[in-house]
Amino acid sequence: MILAKDEENDAEVRREDQDQINEFGMLNARLHEVRREADRLKVRSARVLDHKLLEKIDDASTELMMGNGDRVMLRLGGAMFEATEDEATEFCEAEVERNQETLDKLSEEEGGILGRQAGLKEKLYGRFGKSINLEDK
Amino acid sequence: MSSSEVVNAAVAADSGNSQEEPVANISLESITEGKNDRGIPATKFLDDIELFANSFKPPASPELLIGAYSDLYSKFKAYEQQLEQKRATYEEKLPEIEKSITLVRHLKEKKEAGESGVVTRYNLADTIYSKAEVDCSQGIVNLWLGANVMLEYTYDEALELLTSKQTVAKKDFKEVSEDLTFTRNQIITSEVNISRIYNWDIRRKRESKRAGSN
Repeated sequence: MILAKDEENDAEVRREDQDQINEFGMLNARLHEVRREADRLKVRSARVLDHKLLEKIDDASTELMMGNGDRVMLRLGGAMFEATEDEATEFCEAEVERNQETLDKLSEEEGGILGRQAGLKEKLYGRFGKSINLEDK
Repeated sequence: MSSSEVVNAAVAADSGNSQEEPVANISLESITEGKNDRGIPATKFLDDIELFANSFKPPASPELLIGAYSDLYSKFKAYEQQLEQKRATYEEKLPEIEKSITLVRHLKEKKEAGESGVVTRYNLADTIYSKAEVDCSQGIVNLWLGANVMLEYTYDEALELLTSKQTVAKKDFKEVSEDLTFTRNQIITSEVNISRIYNWDIRRKRESKRAGSN
């Protein structure tokens, strides 16, 4: 990208600038990972087997409640085990809690990353202006 | 091969080419500084490009420097790919181990609750499940160890083995992730070095033109 004469920036890149640029890159990579993991829990993905996990558990709990007290199948690992309605409901609730906790932690991390990125952007744009681009394509 | 051997081998292979640009004259050591715990070299950050160029005998041309750093950049990029694949493998492995742990714990609970027979449906073929009764009072479970070998374990032994496998997998995953971050940092530093050398060269030429026309 060729800059116009008056847009050129002569600020030298110091080691600390390089470190900040590297940190920004690392945060960005982590941000994408965090979002991918959160999506796996929340959003319907293209892969048929990866439906919203939390919603799936929710659907299962609803079915259980509407059930007629018969024994139900609980899927653990590759096999299915017979279980009572109560056991299954307990299992579902525990799963929901676990996944929700994970989701909350991921949201927190995402917020933290965005905050740090904003701080870095301020410093780097302040120093290098148009000579640097920190936006996601 | 360790990672530093990989990079060195690639550099040696390059110097076998007959090129007009003597890229081989710039050694890996001169453009890197140190390495991380697993032997991946770190790109040298250039505090002063002019000084750096003149540190070579004869003083390195911008083309030479850019060439050397571009090479380094490509090698890091290739290594990044490898690491990403490795990481994806570990990412898949961990949930598998966790599933097994959950299963064994479930069986153990059933045994401790005094239930002797657990009815399960297992995967007979792709779309068919078959009914089976599992006797948990035995307290025995069989685990695949790889290479088509299956071994018998008590529930506690199995949990011990699986949890230690899990610990190792988590550690490997952490190491690969760290290496990946490190490699990416070297990629960014190399890119920035290339831009700076290029800009420095442009400015130098501009100034000499200005000085020449005075």
